[in-house]
This record gives sequence, structure tokens and C-alpha cells, in this order.
Amino acid sequence: MSDLTYKEIDDTVIDTLSPPTAKYWGIIALVFAGLLMGAGCWLYQIFIGVGVAGMNTPVHWGTYLINFVFWVGIAHSGTLISAILHLFRAGWRNPIARAAETMTVFAVCCAGLFPFIHLGRVWLVFYMLPFPNQRTLWPNFQSPLMFDVVAISTYLTVSALFWYTGLMPDLAAIRDRATGTRKRVFTILSLGWTGEQGQWHNYARGYLFFAALATPLVISVHSVVSWDFALSVIPGWHTTIFAPYFVAGAIHSGLAMVLTLLIPLRKIFGYERIITIHVLESVAKTIVFTGLIVGFAYATEIFIAWYSHNIIEMESFWWRAFGDYAIPYWIMVFCNTIAPLFYLFKKVRTNLKLLFTISILVNIGMWYERFVIIIGSVAHGFLPNAWGLYSPTLIEFGIMIGAFCLFFFLFLLFVKHLPSVSMTEMKETLHHGASDDG
Amino acid sequence: MTAEKTKIMGLFESEADALAAIADMRSLGWVIERVHSPIPSENIPRALGMRKSRVGWFTLAGGITGFFAGFLMAAFTASRWSLIVSGKPVVALVPFFIVGFEFTILFAVFGNVIGLITQANLPKFNYSQDYAPECSADQYGILAACGPEEAGELEAFFTERGAHIRSFDVAPSTA
Repeated sequence: MSDLTYKEIDDTVIDTLSPPTAKYWGIIALVFAGLLMGAGCWLYQIFIGVGVAGMNTPVHWGTYLINFVFWVGIAHSGTLISAILHLFRAGWRNPIARAAETMTVFAVCCAGLFPFIHLGRVWLVFYMLPFPNQRTLWPNFQSPLMFDVVAISTYLTVSALFWYTGLMPDLAAIRDRATGTRKRVFTILSLGWTGEQGQWHNYARGYLFFAALATPLVISVHSVVSWDFALSVIPGWHTTIFAPYFVAGAIHSGLAMVLTLLIPLRKIFGYERIITIHVLESVAKTIVFTGLIVGFAYATEIFIAWYSHNIIEMESFWWRAFGDYAIPYWIMVFCNTIAPLFYLFKKVRTNLKLLFTISILVNIGMWYERFVIIIGSVAHGFLPNAWGLYSPTLIEFGIMIGAFCLFFFLFLLFVKHLPSVSMTEMKETLHHGASDDG
Repeated sequence: MTAEKTKIMGLFESEADALAAIADMRSLGWVIERVHSPIPSENIPRALGMRKSRVGWFTLAGGITGFFAGFLMAAFTASRWSLIVSGKPVVALVPFFIVGFEFTILFAVFGNVIGLITQANLPKFNYSQDYAPECSADQYGILAACGPEEAGELEAFFTERGAHIRSFDVAPSTA
């Protein structure tokens, strides 16, 4: 990385914005078709009713909320990389910060859709706003579901503003090399940024405050999501470790998604000199760390169930591991705690195929973690006569695939129209002499 | 009386060269109008004697406003139906503090953005006046103003220090 020049950084990044090929539009069309299919499934549910989903007594929280928690989790590593690692001055985060921040914004958009879908009667969504309904009843802000509305809306707003603020100098750099309509568009988008000292001086301060504010926010958001479960009395949910457990899991899944997105991006756009193997290795090492925390949380849950001598808790966790959903449980354990341990070996960390494969496994494992937590608890509550099983319907699968397609559709549009690596931060890295070891 | 003013920008390859030129210009009495750079610098604002950024005050004001807005909104909505839920007080401190916390962050960020925009004089769509596009790529640009008779001297000053020169249209000004 240290042998790069400012010009080479600009050229490499701006070259990625050259007119897309037919193959690119073909992939866009494919994911857009998936997105339309998901939208069609949702429309069908709106017209027919939420009964088209597989949710029924006792499982009233199904894949919609699994996907909600999954996408909120994916969103977390963007802020970890852009804000927390910025505060720690970790040089390796600079080449991947932009892509991770973008992933955050799009993942929160996907997450935000699911409570709407889960509502069934989506037109009643205004019940969640601080606005009295026809019986002059206001929302109950003592409910963790209302904390969630506030936290997720705040997270979306803050991460979008943080992302845009970081983009401004790069948008100006593109504007200065563009002509015609493209120049006019980037002039508006960059707000006339010129890099004069009055701008940089305030920008640096503002960016630091953004990072300082986003750090407690990111921790609070997934803590609030965990309280949706932990503040109930359901066995398997009612536990105090949920907040740190969810935050660690969120970062674990988000970092895995960063690798899933960046390894192909690096290859397609020729970013090898910017996103070096060292950067990918650093992400992999952090995944090992978060995987160990997640593994510790799994073990703690089981230990507490045993140590408490609470027969309901003991039954709940025994059933998770050896009951009807044992396969999802062991997929979760393997993918989230065992598979990342292979990253301890340098040969694995420096092999792109293995890096990519394990990142996919972690993504799968984290989806199943939410399945095990959500379904595995409500399906097997206090009363044996109220136990039941759940399996998603095709409509739910359709909506889930649609959400993934929405995410990839937005991300693919982004990488060809806006700079997917922060040119400014890369130049800063060079200026401060941060080498690959930075 | 109306006099003409010349604006000349010296484009430097490195921050060190730009800093040395700024120090010399200040000691020789040249008028520095602006300094552009491709990346944020801690040293250039110091060399220019710029005051500390005031963005933080906007952020702080936003944060304080947000905390009270969030907490009071939750308390107000609860007081509309003084209904005891799960044995908790109507105005419950712990849950409403969470709402207050989220609003603190949200409004602090709004304050931060407002502070950044107002203090950095954005948006500025007529940016191209006296601006060299190289400054967003890899050059440090020092824009200085002088009378037409001093233009040659200023150009020589920049050239001696290894800068490329960019002259801008003569702008009338009142002297």
C-alpha cells in the first residue's frame, strides 16, 4: 500500500466508475427480478393477510423478525469499522471503511422493512409514531418495541449522515475530473466542497464527533434489539447477558459480510494494492475474537440454565440442542464458533477462497442463531400443552430472498456509481506513513 | 478609489513545502486568501492561526436538546393516559432514559451536521471561482492576493519554492 501515490489511488477508484458492462446490467436485472419477486410476495400477504406466513400459536415471531435481527446485526460492523476503529486509529480500516459504511446503511434499510412486513396490516404502522390513535392512545414508551423504533430510526439517520459526510471530499474529487451532466450532478452532491482549510478544519472536528456519537449508538442499538427478547419472561430470552451477546454477534456477522462483499469487489475492481491481504487478515482476526465471545455466550447460556436448577430453563436449552431444532442449533454452533477458528491459521487467512467460504459459513450461522433464539424459545415455553413447531412458508422465503436481493441491488448500484473506497482516507493513510502494518 | 487585484495560486506537491511557504508568506506580509489541500491537515490551520472549530458547540446544544426532547416526549405521552403498566410508575425513569439517550445521539448528530454546514460555508455551488481542481487530487494550493504590480514578485516567490503557478482573472476591488 505504501508504494501507492495519491494519483494512483484516485485513478484506481475513479476507474471503477467507468460505464458498466452488459454483464453488470445483467446481474442488476437478476437481483432486481428477485427484489420484485419479494415485493410481490409482500403484496400477496397484504391482500390475503398475514396468515399466508407460517406463524401460528405458539410461534408468532417467525422469519420476519429473524431477518430483522439478522440485518440489524449485519449493519453493525460498518459502524464498528468506520467509527470505533477510527477512534482507535486502526490504519487497516481505511481501505474498507466506505464499503462497510455503505453496507450498514443498506442493511438498516432492509432491517427496517421487516417490522412493516411483520405487522401484516402495514397501514397501521403509524401506531408506532408518537401520535395519538383514534382512541387518543399514545405509544407506550415503556415497551422495548418502542425503544426499537426510536433506536433503529436513529441508527439509520446517523449512519446515513455519517456515510454522506465522509463521501463529500471524494465526491468533489470525482466532480473535478468529470464533465457535462456528471459534473453537474457531482457538483450538487459534493455541496461545492473545495478542500479549503475552513472546510477541512470543521470537517475533521465534525467527523470525530460523528465517530464519538456513533460508537455508543451502535452498542445501544443491538442492546435495545436484545431487550425486545430479554425484557419478556420467555425461557431462553429472559437473561441479562443478551445485550453484550447480541452486540458481539452483530459485529461477528457484520464482519463476515464485509469479507463476503469485499473479496469479490477487490478482485473485480482490481483493488489488490489498496485492500491488501493484510487488511483482509485483520478482519479475519477480529472475526476470531468476536467468534470467541459468541462461543463464550453460548456456553454461558447453557451453564446458567444448568447452574440455576430452573427446570424450565434446563428443558429449554436441552431441547434447543437435542430437540426438533437440533440441526439449526448445531449449524449455529459450528458456523459461528468452530469455523472462524480456522482463521487462526495464517494459511487460511491468506487464502481468499477459504476466507470467503468461512465468511459465508458465519453468515449462515448467524442467521441460524437468530432462528434458534427466536423460534427455539417461543416454540417451547412454560406449558407443554402450548408447545408447537414452526416452519416458514414459501411467501416468507420469497420475502427473505427479496430482502437479500434488495441489499445486493443497492450495493451493486453503489459500487458502480459512487467511490467504494475512500480516496481521502487512503491518502491520509499514505500521508501519515501508515504501512500495511498500520 | 477602485484598484485591481491579482490572485495567484501556488500549487505544492507536499504539505511540508506548503507549510514552509505559508510561514514565509506570513513573515513577508503577503495576503493569504485560502489554502486548499487534498486531505485534512492539523498543521496548516495552526500555521494560518485559525481558531478552534466551533462545530462541537452545535453538537453539544443538539445533544442537550435531544435528551430533554426524548425524555419529555416519553413522559408526556405516558401522562396522557395515566395508566400503570406492569406495576411501573407512569413516568418511569429507566425506560424513558433510553428514549432520552437515543434522542441525545440523534439531535447531537443533527447539531453536528448543522455546525459543519454553517461553519464550513456549505453548500457553495460557485466553488470554481479561484479554484484549482488539482487541489482535490494531490496538490496543496495557496491562494494569495496582491496588486498587479506585485504579481511577478509573488509568482517568483512561489516558483522559488517549487510550486506550480495558477493565475486567476483580475478581480476589481475597492481600496
